[in-house]
Amino acid sequence: MTELTYTGAPASFWRIAAVATRHAYVLKRSPHRLFDVVMWPVVDTMLFGSIGVFASRSTHGAAQVPLYLLAGIVLWHVVYQAQIALSTAFLEETWSRNLLNLFTTPTREWEYMAGVALFGLVKLVVGVGAVALIAWTVYAFKITSLGFGLLPVVLLLMAIGMAISLFVIGLVLRFGSGAEALAWGILFGIMPISGVFYPVSALPWVIRPLARILPTTHAFVVGQTLARGEPMPWGELGIAVGSTAALVVLAFGYAAWMLRVFRERGFVTRYS
Amino acid sequence: MTSAEFVLRARQLVKDYRRGRAVDGVDLEIRPGERVGLLGPNGAGKTTTLLMCLGVVRPNGGSVEVLGHPMPRGRYAAMEQVGFVAGYLPLPERMKVEEYLVMFARLYGLRNPKAAAQRGLDRFGVAHLSRAMGTELSSGQKTLIGVVKASLHRPRLMVLDEPTASLDPEVALRVRTGLRELSETDGTALLVTSHNMVEVERLCDRVVFLSAGRVVADGRADEIAQQFGRDDLEGVFLHLAQVRDASRDASPLATEAS
Repeated sequence: MTELTYTGAPASFWRIAAVATRHAYVLKRSPHRLFDVVMWPVVDTMLFGSIGVFASRSTHGAAQVPLYLLAGIVLWHVVYQAQIALSTAFLEETWSRNLLNLFTTPTREWEYMAGVALFGLVKLVVGVGAVALIAWTVYAFKITSLGFGLLPVVLLLMAIGMAISLFVIGLVLRFGSGAEALAWGILFGIMPISGVFYPVSALPWVIRPLARILPTTHAFVVGQTLARGEPMPWGELGIAVGSTAALVVLAFGYAAWMLRVFRERGFVTRYS
Repeated sequence: MTSAEFVLRARQLVKDYRRGRAVDGVDLEIRPGERVGLLGPNGAGKTTTLLMCLGVVRPNGGSVEVLGHPMPRGRYAAMEQVGFVAGYLPLPERMKVEEYLVMFARLYGLRNPKAAAQRGLDRFGVAHLSRAMGTELSSGQKTLIGVVKASLHRPRLMVLDEPTASLDPEVALRVRTGLRELSETDGTALLVTSHNMVEVERLCDRVVFLSAGRVVADGRADEIAQQFGRDDLEGVFLHLAQVRDASRDASPLATEAS
């Protein structure tokens, strides 16, 4: 190549920036996509916040309900936004039949994912910011009251959301557009068994073992403990870190496997 | 001749899909600056061969080297010097032409993406489209922008799959002229698939004919026509299509179905 080209780390930096910028244009010119980023999160907060307030007023000993619901919904949207940002960015490439164009550039898979994740981070900040603002202004719940312990919980939930999106991307690579409904639906299968809005002890006993192997469950236990003003449950945090790391490894392995199948079976022609 | 003297060298490529063998022992070599047409009836294995050469589809057998890089492992390094355009691929809907070109210039690693985009638009006479949205372009304009995209980094090999499909003769001529100029000034080798035999005869130095996943002829257009006892490439194409149809009719599946 000539002196007019970047190589190594600067080339990767600009490729990541190019992918992030491409998705910024998509959002800028598709205002309806702000529903995913802002509208649904705000609706969720109003819904669960109001249920919490109602429950606390009508039932003795239910003072913790709004706390569980509001902490749960704010933290849940960290998982949701991280997952949906990555999944829909990849789906955008399939909808616009851009995959073959991307595969025929020097872009590495990790550079593409990093670019998408970078822009996804912006969407996550906007979406979770909207939720946190509503929870604070309407229900007087400040998510920052969880203190610095909030930081590892948010990082874990982001990693979980991104790992789940890798499973979705892997399924779309393998099964085509038919699998894209999972981008929106998959989390709604995980949410009820993760103890997002209630302790795991409230689940039917047969489901509890399944709940305990999910990293989301342990991350939410940490978040709820901090929301009650109790000290950081280090043991629970350790389990959350370990199970999240295992999930991330599995997700990368699955996506890489499906990418190999995608290349071996020539599935790229589905999008050309 | 060493592998460095070829921009593309494919040996005994084989690709099996569930429905059967799509490519069956294809050899393909392209030298720097050479313009090669890859022809054949529908289902002959042209696109699969191209995709294996680009490292997008993994072959079941054989090997591909692009500019000395073994594929698909060396795909990233090879693609820094390869451009790809397909007439059937649309432009992303929510980007302006200039934004689209700048994005790809950055993906190719260019230091001055805006200048590269402008230079490409000027070369193909479409500078007036730079502020247009992808959805506002005609199919001919989209193809021209696709060619500009694929040539931004002055590649040593450009792979074009049906580049002028559905273009009117004037736009097809403009694409052909631009490609010929690119090849002559930059020394870019071209590998082109097309169903337009006249276009291939005018643009390419050499033609490779595929039929049922195999190379059945490789040489200059007039040599191949002579080899098959036809007047031109169209005559060869029609002959190969008839042979394919006859072999399908004679297959056990076709007999059972009838």
